[in-house]
Amino acid sequence: MENLISIFLNSVFVGNILLAYFLGMCSFVAISKNMETSIGLGFAVVFVLSITAPVNWLIYTYLLSPGALAWVGLPTVDLSYLKFITFIAVIAAMVQAVEMVIDRFSPALYNALGVFLPLITVNCAILGTSLFMVEREYTFMESLVFGIGSGTGWLLAIVSMAAIRIKLRYADVPEGLQGFGITMIVTGLMAMGFMLFSGITL
Amino acid sequence: MKLIQTIFDKSRRHFEKNGKLAFLFPFYDATETFFFIPGHTTRSDSHIRDSLDVKRYMSFVIVALMPPFIFGIYNAGYQSNLFSGKSLDLIPVFLCGLALVLPIVAVSYLVGFFWETTFASIRNHPISEGFLVTGLLFPLTLPPTIPLWQVAVGISFGVVIGKEIFGGTGRNILNPALTGRAFLFFAYPGNMSGDPVWVAVSKAKEVVVDTVSSATPLAVSKLVESGDRIESVLSNMDYSFFTLLMGRYPGSIGATSALLCFVGAGLLVFVGVASFRIIVGGIVGVLSMGLLLNLLAGESTAAWFSLNPLYHLVMGGSAFGIAYMATDPVSAPGMNASRWIYGFCIGGLTVLIRVFNPAFPEGIMLAILFMNLFSPLLDYFVIKFKLKKRIVNV
Repeated sequence: MENLISIFLNSVFVGNILLAYFLGMCSFVAISKNMETSIGLGFAVVFVLSITAPVNWLIYTYLLSPGALAWVGLPTVDLSYLKFITFIAVIAAMVQAVEMVIDRFSPALYNALGVFLPLITVNCAILGTSLFMVEREYTFMESLVFGIGSGTGWLLAIVSMAAIRIKLRYADVPEGLQGFGITMIVTGLMAMGFMLFSGITL
Repeated sequence: MKLIQTIFDKSRRHFEKNGKLAFLFPFYDATETFFFIPGHTTRSDSHIRDSLDVKRYMSFVIVALMPPFIFGIYNAGYQSNLFSGKSLDLIPVFLCGLALVLPIVAVSYLVGFFWETTFASIRNHPISEGFLVTGLLFPLTLPPTIPLWQVAVGISFGVVIGKEIFGGTGRNILNPALTGRAFLFFAYPGNMSGDPVWVAVSKAKEVVVDTVSSATPLAVSKLVESGDRIESVLSNMDYSFFTLLMGRYPGSIGATSALLCFVGAGLLVFVGVASFRIIVGGIVGVLSMGLLLNLLAGESTAAWFSLNPLYHLVMGGSAFGIAYMATDPVSAPGMNASRWIYGFCIGGLTVLIRVFNPAFPEGIMLAILFMNLFSPLLDYFVIKFKLKKRIVNV
């Protein structure tokens, strides 16, 4: 249990997928202009991540990893080179499902998110989480918690960034830094603030 | 006064538009308003102009910073003389402290002033007194042994990245002084933390010791093994509760005396600069998180858990941070409800970092920076909540 809490806190604050690994920047910078859509996209990412991470774990452990096919009598087969394409396929399928759900229940959010909703498929944060999960050899429960934690970290980052950008409307940013420039600087400062739990051991 | 007025009036034409020195107008403006009340009149629709303008506002903060500043000079000198084996009388201690602290403050002011005037002349905005506060707050959070070039680097980062690129005073999102300190903390941890940095030992020849390892109360507490009481270990090292409250122990220059920080905080609240909600919220946050950990304390938990919560308030920089840093009106939230939450979270996070994070002995700096990032979000949700309520009433 303590291990799970530690993984969760770690993926939200210390190893924040956005602020520590800088994955998922494109939609972060583009969508955080608007508060409502940020919240919507943030929760969509949490949802997609918390499904894809465990599903990809199952697929990797029972089909792809070296020796995983022992249960059908093929103990020497190693399909792990297929992990990228498989992970992406799972993610794309999940995103399709999310898209249909949002279209059905909240057409306004669907329109506001526009192209960025299908683009969650190629959001580096989603694939990155699945790959980190393989690399760190998490168990099923750990990968579930890691998925939820990474999503929550991304959600926190984009929502606070959206609020900061509302405040930045009253700022007088030098011309060369307006728009993306200042957003990147604020992201860097946010990364510094999120260091507060680095080094924590539970 | 007449004489000064004539000097200003005579030289004014050089600084106005098309004058020879027009690019220095912000500098002229700042110097003039330092002596006289600005003669600006309101141009747009009628509104009320409070006499508490930015200049007076910031002056109050400077005044409120004086007690910890002067005590910081005394304490830096006292610790230095104590460990170097010199006289502990008031005058030599003060002189030693002045020699230690004044260069740091001077560098901070000079370099900060350089950036402020550079940006003001190029971007054509007035020089703001907010910088006077940043330039004094920043050195007070540093250890007295900090190399002066690092002071310059830190204040440059704080003023330029923390404030000026957002357009100057009132537009930043993070507290500039803390931004600079956090930058130094992560860039040069060897000069910002650890045991040897907190006391400046004079390098005179007759003194045998070169550096003194003088652990701060927070560092001491960190090492106490589970089962022992931090309070008793601290008092064995002469850090009694009273000493911690008064502040005569090694630490950041201005941040050791909790009592004086709360005096300053009271003054700030009295003149209407600081929000009492943030301060009270912060204190309640520290105490309630400390109490919660007391309830969780058992046989095998770390010694931190059973520490009297009041100790969290008087040790290290938590009082200084809550009084002067968290209340910064620019980076703190603007709604009353979010101020309570903001203060409470700062206090709670500070204790959490101290207790659970072995990497950082002190938590107040990052707790405040972290909550600075979320203060616009708190405001957003509080406003949203209020609007919802209002529509129901209609």
